[in-house]
Amino acid sequence: MPAATVSQKPPVSDAGVGETILSARDVVKRFPGVLALDNVHLELNRGEVHALCGENGAGKSTLMKVITGLYQPDAGEVTYKGKPVHFATLQDSEAAGITIIHQELNLVPHLTVAENIFLAREPKSGWFVDRRKMEADAQVYLDRLKVDIKASDQVLTLSVARQQMVEIAKALSLNAEVLIMDEPTSALTESEIDQLFKIIHELKADGVAIAYISHRLQELGRIVDRVTVMRDGGYVWTKRFDETSVDDIVAAMVGRSLEHQFPERKSVPTDEVFFEVKGLSGPKNCRDVSFNLRRGEILGFAGLMGAGRTETARAIFGADTKTAGQVVLEGTEIDTKTPVDAIQAGLAYLSEDRKLNGLSVKMTVKENITMANMDAVCRNGFISDAAEAEAAREAVEKLDIKTPTIDQVVRNLSGGNQQKVVIGKWLFRQSRVLFFDEPTRGIDVGAKFAIYELLDELASEGIGVIMITSELPEILGMTDRVVVFHEGEVAGVLETAKTDQEEIMQYASGVKRMDL
Amino acid sequence: MASIDTAPKYAKQPIDRNDLIQKFAALAGLVLLVIAFSLANGAFHTMSNAVTIALQTSTIAFIGLGATLTIITAGIDLSLGSVLALAGVVSALSAQVGIPVPIAMLIGVLTGAVCGLFNGLVVTRLKLPPFIATLGMMMIARGVALQITGARPVSGLPESFGTLGGGSLFRIVEMAPNGFPKVIFPGIPYPVILMAILAVAVAVMLRKTSFGRHLYAIGSNEEAARLSGVKVDRVKTGAYILSGAMAGIAGIVLMSRLVTGQPNEGVAYELDAIAAAVIGGTSLAGGVGTISGTIIGAFIIGILRNGLNMNGVSFFIQMIIIGLVIIATVWIDQLRNRK
Repeated sequence: MPAATVSQKPPVSDAGVGETILSARDVVKRFPGVLALDNVHLELNRGEVHALCGENGAGKSTLMKVITGLYQPDAGEVTYKGKPVHFATLQDSEAAGITIIHQELNLVPHLTVAENIFLAREPKSGWFVDRRKMEADAQVYLDRLKVDIKASDQVLTLSVARQQMVEIAKALSLNAEVLIMDEPTSALTESEIDQLFKIIHELKADGVAIAYISHRLQELGRIVDRVTVMRDGGYVWTKRFDETSVDDIVAAMVGRSLEHQFPERKSVPTDEVFFEVKGLSGPKNCRDVSFNLRRGEILGFAGLMGAGRTETARAIFGADTKTAGQVVLEGTEIDTKTPVDAIQAGLAYLSEDRKLNGLSVKMTVKENITMANMDAVCRNGFISDAAEAEAAREAVEKLDIKTPTIDQVVRNLSGGNQQKVVIGKWLFRQSRVLFFDEPTRGIDVGAKFAIYELLDELASEGIGVIMITSELPEILGMTDRVVVFHEGEVAGVLETAKTDQEEIMQYASGVKRMDL
Repeated sequence: MASIDTAPKYAKQPIDRNDLIQKFAALAGLVLLVIAFSLANGAFHTMSNAVTIALQTSTIAFIGLGATLTIITAGIDLSLGSVLALAGVVSALSAQVGIPVPIAMLIGVLTGAVCGLFNGLVVTRLKLPPFIATLGMMMIARGVALQITGARPVSGLPESFGTLGGGSLFRIVEMAPNGFPKVIFPGIPYPVILMAILAVAVAVMLRKTSFGRHLYAIGSNEEAARLSGVKVDRVKTGAYILSGAMAGIAGIVLMSRLVTGQPNEGVAYELDAIAAAVIGGTSLAGGVGTISGTIIGAFIIGILRNGLNMNGVSFFIQMIIIGLVIIATVWIDQLRNRK
């Protein structure tokens, strides 16, 4: 039996794991004007972790929604435990044993862990909720995951990683036999990922079939048995993971082979230090941070989640109040008490969560681009439509923003183009030092490359580029030097060309430390 | 009804097709109402009734403008009706003690602005939700209005106090042969003219100034606006000051029409204003809203009241109908947005 089906045919059931529990064949889903799924196949075996890979918009989520009954397929068949099924609602599929954990966790923050786990199916005694039984039952599932969470904890007091564990406990309580995980690691730290993977291995051993959607291909090798790749709503192939490679998967995802994940760097670092931070401390997780930035250089901020990289950037930018330290731009100390001051001085901060604090998604491309520099498009106190349109058109052209018009509402753009709009905003402001916080998070492989090229171009134009990223390959592929953070302090500053992933991790985890 | 026809042009945003559909839907509803009431009652479709409607609507429109500004920032101003009363009586009291009428009226508008400033500071400095801040002001302003007047109407005002509310432009009256004056053209009441001017001014401010743009930016995503260098606190406070000033203008116009300061005037008017904004497509979630929409919304409410009155529908039934209209319009709006 060919385990790796390379052709366009449906995968054949044999991955050397368990029997097939769920399969979707020839699934077609049309939306007005879009063929969202075009004869897609997916097969899950008991005790298997099956990765579903594809760029944003490849149809992964749509397929999951068809499987869980949120959408009805226009053609094709979903078979579960050997029988064709048509789930009408999410509740139906959940009752049958299929549970999905979304990227954006669906927990009610103000309720307790137990209340969340048993939401809408609370154990009752008479008319009232049997709180004691509910908490005891919840605790059983939590203990099974070996996590230190109390059933009576309020969800909002838990970290994202722990909230994810609560979702998994909820899935266990539903006796899930199929577990769909959508980008489960995107907000987790390394050690939390380890913990999650341990749990995934245990679930596997119990015979749970896991569909695993992730953009972080590097980590797939640690848990995945098989991989199915989708592209543009179509099915590409299903292979055993040990018979493929990350490059192979990426090539299948983008439909062309990516010679290099990163562009050839054009900008050349000079010796001219033009931006410097000395002894900066912030309100949280930022102590005595010093570093400098040379003209033409891309500087990386590496560190584990919660190491203080974002906090440092926010303190420099005045988004959070500083308690000590100096910020020096081109030899002059600048006062950055508030974002208004920082922007005035020439700094810009592109936040890690674009939708939460980077973009006004209800507003148009044009309005977002000019937002940080309204004065430049005002004539005698009134916005000049012509000047504004010109500014927006220039940005759209320079950054190659894919939008039908400059009056398109930003919500309707893809992640990569939204990121370009944010960059356009700061270029129009003529910012001189740009902090990019996770600039490629949630962006397609293809669009990432465009963002990388853009960063390089900015650096070659003499604009300061500081890139905060949790993707070590990104640090190695794009930066000239890297500042490694550990628990709110700078653990080391490394020349990228002379270091590797391991050394960076040693500094990030506190094993090594430089005297600075 | 000239102002109805010109209203949608004030802040036309050709950008968003949905926005246009919304506007035309509301406008179409307005036209349908006019046709229906005209057919039902011949007296509806007369010049003098049109003037009456415009005059009645102007009050909702003034505070509707204010409500729209705060709602665009994802806030709300519940104090409009009370501030209206306070501004009106302060103005009347000032005129009563002999302060020249124009200055007395200016004092009234300033009173409204000060109430707005207070709202703005409570929202931005004490960081209270706008609902709470303005709920407090709703009671404070009403209390002050009742206290300083002893809950009695302020009367004995100079005749000129009634000019703003009662006067008209281009009024043509002819003496009929029987010796009675005959009104050839009722004229355009000053409040209606003021409404048109203010609507245009606020619409231009929203569309063409950075302050206006920043209001939308704050309502759309406050943190993004802050990180883009928008002086969020200042802009928000500005919105509440303008909202209060609008209530002040509504107050002096209304009291001028009555030529009395009525401390009990304007109870629950803020809800009419919010309803007008919402019917006109302003989103309570912030970031969305136009003045043209609010003016149409105000006229829908005004015409409904007038037409139903004329057809002998009781006040209580009117309330039921207007309530249903609010729910239906917002429901239709949401259906469209869900698409």
